[in-house]
Amino acid sequence: MQLARRPESCAIVIFGATGDLTRRKLIPALYSLAYRNLLPHHFAILGVAHTAQTSATFVATMKKAVKQHARDPFRQDVWDLLSEGMRYVETEFGNEDGNDRVAEALEEVDAEHGTAGNRLYYLAVPPKTFTDSVTEIGERRHREGWVRLIVEKPFGHDLASACALNDLLHHWFREDEIFRIDHYLGKETVQNMLALRFANGIFEPVWNRQFIDHVQITVAEAMGIEGRAGFYEPAGAIRDVFQNHLLQLLALTAMEPPIDFTADAVRTEKVKVLKSMHTPGPKSVVRGQYGAGFVEGLEVPSYREEDGVSPDSLTETYIAAKLYVDNWRWADTPFYVRAGKRLGRRETTIAIQFKQAPHPPFEAIAGDDLRPNVLLIQVQPDEGVSLAIGAKVPGAGMTIRTVHMDFLYGGSFRTQLPEAYERLILDCLLGDAALFTSEDEVEEQWKLVDSIVGGWARDRTNFPNYASGSPGPKAADDLIRRDARSWRRH
Amino acid sequence: MGLVSDIERQLGALRAAEAADGRPEIRTSTMTHLVWCPPGWHTDARKTLAGLAERHPARTIILLPESGPRAEIVAHAELKVFRLPGLAHEVVSEVIEIRLRGDAAHHPGSVVAPLLVSGLPVFCRWRGELAAGGGELDEILGVADRLVVDSSEWSRVPAAYAALVPLFERSAISDIAFARTLPWRRRLAALWPQIGSVERLRVEGPRADAELLAGWLRSRLKREVSLTRRQAAAVESVRVDGQQVESPGALPGSSDLLSDELDRPGRDPVYEAAVRATGTVADAACHPG
Repeated sequence: MQLARRPESCAIVIFGATGDLTRRKLIPALYSLAYRNLLPHHFAILGVAHTAQTSATFVATMKKAVKQHARDPFRQDVWDLLSEGMRYVETEFGNEDGNDRVAEALEEVDAEHGTAGNRLYYLAVPPKTFTDSVTEIGERRHREGWVRLIVEKPFGHDLASACALNDLLHHWFREDEIFRIDHYLGKETVQNMLALRFANGIFEPVWNRQFIDHVQITVAEAMGIEGRAGFYEPAGAIRDVFQNHLLQLLALTAMEPPIDFTADAVRTEKVKVLKSMHTPGPKSVVRGQYGAGFVEGLEVPSYREEDGVSPDSLTETYIAAKLYVDNWRWADTPFYVRAGKRLGRRETTIAIQFKQAPHPPFEAIAGDDLRPNVLLIQVQPDEGVSLAIGAKVPGAGMTIRTVHMDFLYGGSFRTQLPEAYERLILDCLLGDAALFTSEDEVEEQWKLVDSIVGGWARDRTNFPNYASGSPGPKAADDLIRRDARSWRRH
Repeated sequence: MGLVSDIERQLGALRAAEAADGRPEIRTSTMTHLVWCPPGWHTDARKTLAGLAERHPARTIILLPESGPRAEIVAHAELKVFRLPGLAHEVVSEVIEIRLRGDAAHHPGSVVAPLLVSGLPVFCRWRGELAAGGGELDEILGVADRLVVDSSEWSRVPAAYAALVPLFERSAISDIAFARTLPWRRRLAALWPQIGSVERLRVEGPRADAELLAGWLRSRLKREVSLTRRQAAAVESVRVDGQQVESPGALPGSSDLLSDELDRPGRDPVYEAAVRATGTVADAACHPG
């Protein structure tokens, strides 16, 4: 990563500093930024949580986390630089005294480390403490320097709660100070979608209903809920993945070219897509819940057998839908999306399936291997782009076979891909919100989710309806098969 | 859930070492090639794969089911690099050997599904008995586009062909034993039109090859042809109505035969018809129940 400018000095305050996200993602990401000399000249990290521990213990735990989770090798000099201004404040969220201690600690940090009153607050806290945290930060807002607030998902539970959160945030902060994070947008391959579309003359002319038969977006996980029943039970796949990651991937796929890559321009185009989507009917949405099965050769329990999950839970762990973007570019072009847990393989892909050639003269001898062109954007794993095209098999006759032209990130650029959190934290430090979600986007996403979930209240489910390790419920296959199409198998 | 990440880590380290020459790495895989390799078949399978050399750059996943008291999965990855004359790039194949112990051996589909190369066809060379109806085959058919068997490895020929027929609707299937008879089938086809009235076929060769030759003749001619056979390691002699058919000469080796099958796209209706016309299958069709 190379920067046109370096971030201004600031203190990074992580609320929820003893949580998994801080240990596995945030501190390793900050270490990688320090490793590449991308952090401000003067900075400090303040961890805030309710666990009683000293700053020394916190620093030791974070050092271990860096050794375990950072993508870069551990270097003592880099760690010394990062940990020099690292300290910890114990407080209950909403506790006046505790928050005063946070404010005092920040004053000290400013004095000791020259962070100039600039603050980046990272809210890695459970939803129930969100209001208290935002209020405390707002009330103690420093008069000097800038304030930026990174807000983790879930951003609300429905449209009403999301609007209430937006109102709360706007009471204390301007929209350009609020950074609603969706870590998928920080992935290189997702950003590469924009490069692919708008930096290459060959794709945009065919990126429309005339040439594209349909789009498939898959966010499949092999993992279960990994002990997060408290979060997952009331959320389900629709709030965990569909509302944010899936709809953001769809918006990036379908959006019009922005006039530039500023936050306003990009987000305005994404909002237009989200506004153009109409509510799918009940037959266009399938939900599922995993039963017991085998993943990677090992037996795994059903969702209802997971710790903390109700034995008669109706929470969906899988969702598939056929969506339409009702605008000039995409009218009548279906976007099939699916997301689920405990599926046979982990993959996030966007597959653009083009229409068949209008008159393939080789059809009779090509056999059934001549398939439509597919542009596959592989978000993870094996990050890259692949184009399936028909080519003549060498030799006599005219046998056509589908072959793949591939671009693999690791192979072409000879560099490790940065973690999404590195990119997003750095963008926030620079004040660039292009890869963060705006108020309008969040609200449009919840409108769609609310309209789908509203129909479920009248719906009877028969859970579990797919085995762990399988591709998902049979009803999802039926959903796409009714249109004489099929899901990509792998 | 460490298997996939363990294999990805191994492959990543191997690729990094291989790429130390600074040349860009390109994906040269054209398929995922599964090999179901029960005990006793490993040496043969590795020999055949070695013979394929650079002809089918692939991610090859060799599944080695083993008995054991508890489920355990051990994986080892390696890269095979081929330098081809006239090509600037190397051809790189990935070979992943996975030992499936205990209960894990019964769920091969769940092991290979996360390792399939996106967007590429999946071929499975199923070594040994087909064990039709077994959960392992069922799982493999769930992920494979084409199943390649060698019915000469089966102990219950021709009865075992009956179990194969229902699988034709689920997956494209090839049989190395049938492919091995191609030179002889060409000789027999060259006898047209006289061969149109043949009533008796005598083969000196393996049971599977003989049954498939007879099945092929019956299905092509749409008439009954009786089969008599004498055991031999390979098809050495074929007679029609007592007349010796000229030998086609040396037969292709196992690697060449597998290579040809890996080039095939879709179903093979000629093979399917031949199987349906083998002795037991045809009898069952005539006398259902």
